[in-house]
Amino acid sequence: MEVKTPAPMRLHVIFACLGIAFLSIFSWVLFHEETADWRTTQAAFERLEATIKNPHQIAQAPGVAGLRQIWLPDLGRTDRCETCHLGIDDPSFANAPTPFKAHPGTWLTTHPRDRFGCTTCHDGQGDATDYQHAAHQPQPFVARPMRPPETIEANCGTCHRSLDPPEAPRLAQGRRLIVESGCFSCHEIPGFEGLTFLGPALDGIGYKVRPEWLGAWLKDPKSYLSKSKMGNFRLSADEIAGLQGFLLSQVAQMPIDSAGVDWKKADTANGRALFGELRCVSCHAVNGRGGTTGPELTRIGDKVRRDWLFSFLKDPHRVQPDTPMLQYRLTGDQVRDVSAFLLEEYRSSDAGSESSPGARLDARLVDAGRAVFERRGCVSCHRLPSIKASGRVGPSLAGIGDRDPDALTYGQNTVRRTTENYLFLKMLHPEALGQASTMPTFAFTPADAAKITLALLSIRKNDLPASYVLRPPAPAPYRPAGRFGELVTRYRCMSCHTVGGFGGNLSTVPLDVIGSQLTRDYVATYLLNPGAVRVSIEERMPVFHMLPAEASTIADYFATVFLDDGMERYDANFTPAELRRGQELYAQLGCPACHQLGTRGGYVGPELSMTGARLKPGWIAAWLTSPGKYKPGTLQPDYGLSSADVRALTAYLSGLGQRAGGNTTARAQ
Amino acid sequence: MTSIRRLAAASVVLLPLISGCGRAPEKPPSDPLLDAIRAEEREGNLSYVESQGRHLFVQYCVTCHGDEAKGDGQNASNLTPPPPDMTVSKNMQDAAYVRKMIVEGSAGMGRAALSPPWGRTLSQQQVDDLVAYCQSLGRKKR
Repeated sequence: MEVKTPAPMRLHVIFACLGIAFLSIFSWVLFHEETADWRTTQAAFERLEATIKNPHQIAQAPGVAGLRQIWLPDLGRTDRCETCHLGIDDPSFANAPTPFKAHPGTWLTTHPRDRFGCTTCHDGQGDATDYQHAAHQPQPFVARPMRPPETIEANCGTCHRSLDPPEAPRLAQGRRLIVESGCFSCHEIPGFEGLTFLGPALDGIGYKVRPEWLGAWLKDPKSYLSKSKMGNFRLSADEIAGLQGFLLSQVAQMPIDSAGVDWKKADTANGRALFGELRCVSCHAVNGRGGTTGPELTRIGDKVRRDWLFSFLKDPHRVQPDTPMLQYRLTGDQVRDVSAFLLEEYRSSDAGSESSPGARLDARLVDAGRAVFERRGCVSCHRLPSIKASGRVGPSLAGIGDRDPDALTYGQNTVRRTTENYLFLKMLHPEALGQASTMPTFAFTPADAAKITLALLSIRKNDLPASYVLRPPAPAPYRPAGRFGELVTRYRCMSCHTVGGFGGNLSTVPLDVIGSQLTRDYVATYLLNPGAVRVSIEERMPVFHMLPAEASTIADYFATVFLDDGMERYDANFTPAELRRGQELYAQLGCPACHQLGTRGGYVGPELSMTGARLKPGWIAAWLTSPGKYKPGTLQPDYGLSSADVRALTAYLSGLGQRAGGNTTARAQ
Repeated sequence: MTSIRRLAAASVVLLPLISGCGRAPEKPPSDPLLDAIRAEEREGNLSYVESQGRHLFVQYCVTCHGDEAKGDGQNASNLTPPPPDMTVSKNMQDAAYVRKMIVEGSAGMGRAALSPPWGRTLSQQQVDDLVAYCQSLGRKKR
């Protein structure tokens, strides 16, 4: 029987080595934890705190020892940034060196840390506890390193979903550019649902435009209009010829209405006068100045045919039913004069004479053009009854901000591979990334392309809990019925004015309580001959040549429907003492710096000498109390007036221009 | 046999290292988006906060103070005394002064009430941004 010998020497050695290894790993861990970055940082903070605060304050201050973290389960975030950024919410560290410096601005007040953490706005690796791993700088394998301040607004946009997010001007401009450029016509873009971008309908374009203009436009829209909203589709000469033929064949839908016009009698001087009087420049720019609601007219003579222009100006809604242009009440001769003036004044010297519409067209060319029209998705922006819309031609942009940057192509560009660089380059030139693209070139400036990129980066894959999302409800379309509704349609009030947030943004205040703001008689008179209430504003209400009965209908409707009960109930029986006090306040607060009264005062706000005949007292009081409520961003400051002072000013202002208050006006001078 | 295996193992480890060292120094990848935004900032010679303030200045102040804050706005001729040229005013260096001026208006500084108080209209953050912009005005354009 063999006696089992004690464990051989080899085993002893293994155990000994394992023991030593274990001991050294254990002590290395202890050592590593003790000398971790964040511990040295915290020690440095305590030394700094001792120099900034007195011993009593230090005794009061919460201790800093240990890892600190903000856990936000509903956002799926654990942010340990405060482990090192220890002075972040302490104003006494406003001028301390990084990482102890207090957070600049009031951002932490408006965005409390226990609700938003740090990485919601800044990105980076929240659960890391040293500089490197927290991804303060871009590094490999980290999809979202910290954002520099230049692009941080992209993160504002994940919660702030309105088109005009507050205090994020780049993001706001990016979103506006998306709306103006109509990106959502070809791409599904979350946050831009329900918006439509319409180029003009094309069913009568064969009557509308001159063939040579159409060719040049299709080749490069910017060659005609530097601010053209249509991108350059980089079409080949064959495609252009085909499209040109196809579009010029679209003549069936629109009868021209200019038979019997004697163009020889056209009086362009009268046309020029009308062009000014009708305030066309409120919506149309000429030579770089004017509104942007309608197309620029600087070279309109190169573009449209005379008969079409006449028919359009005579009845725009018949020729182009969805146009935002109003229908003036003009005689045939007046329309002729304006048309003649526009075509003579705003054209290049080398524009030849017009050819007749619908000239013989090659059927094969028309078919080829039709195929291009369908393939390039022209119908996304331009309605044409003979072509069925076939869904969006571009890819969906849902979750675009979270696209994997390594799965994208970058062509020959030596750029850091990030989604934002990809989007930016694509925006500048769709084919810059080495791939053929059907997306048109919009010729954005780099600054604009960067802003659009920021807006797109805020579209994330995983949606946030609803309590974090700030999105104003989409305004309900306002389409009144009846006689008033007909007038709103005819004069296209909603192209410039808003009701319930719906409509254009050229007007001074929304119309929602206009009946409590303006007196009925003022509205009825004003509509017949709209003048400028604000001297310095270029966009003025057009002179519609409205009928007196129409003006009365609108004024009556305002006075019965668009009311605010609180303003209507306002007690307008003022005492002489209130009137006197109001006059004092008017001077004391510095109102004349901006408002003109008689011959004195500034040009910023409205002229006030007729205020009593124009505005109702309830409105004046409400406006003076909180101007921003009725017109966000207004230049009228909130003076924080007491209700007694508001009453006094209201007493004074509503006396101006009233028959009884005529003396008050005289005294003020 | 073992030597061949060793050689193979060594080459697996070393080859990438050698090739890594041998590669010509590459141009660091650029960040065109950031460059575009910074170029715009450089053009105005403004930091991020200052450019935020610039937006507010354009909205609320230029009618009197002028686009370049030289006191030559559209409405300046109606004001006595006229707005100062902020690009040379020494007061702009005093942040507390500028802040008080914006928040309380010129009346709050014991002067004629020509510049209105914006303290109730603007948020504190917006005031901070405006102060930063006003303080940048004296700086020479690059």
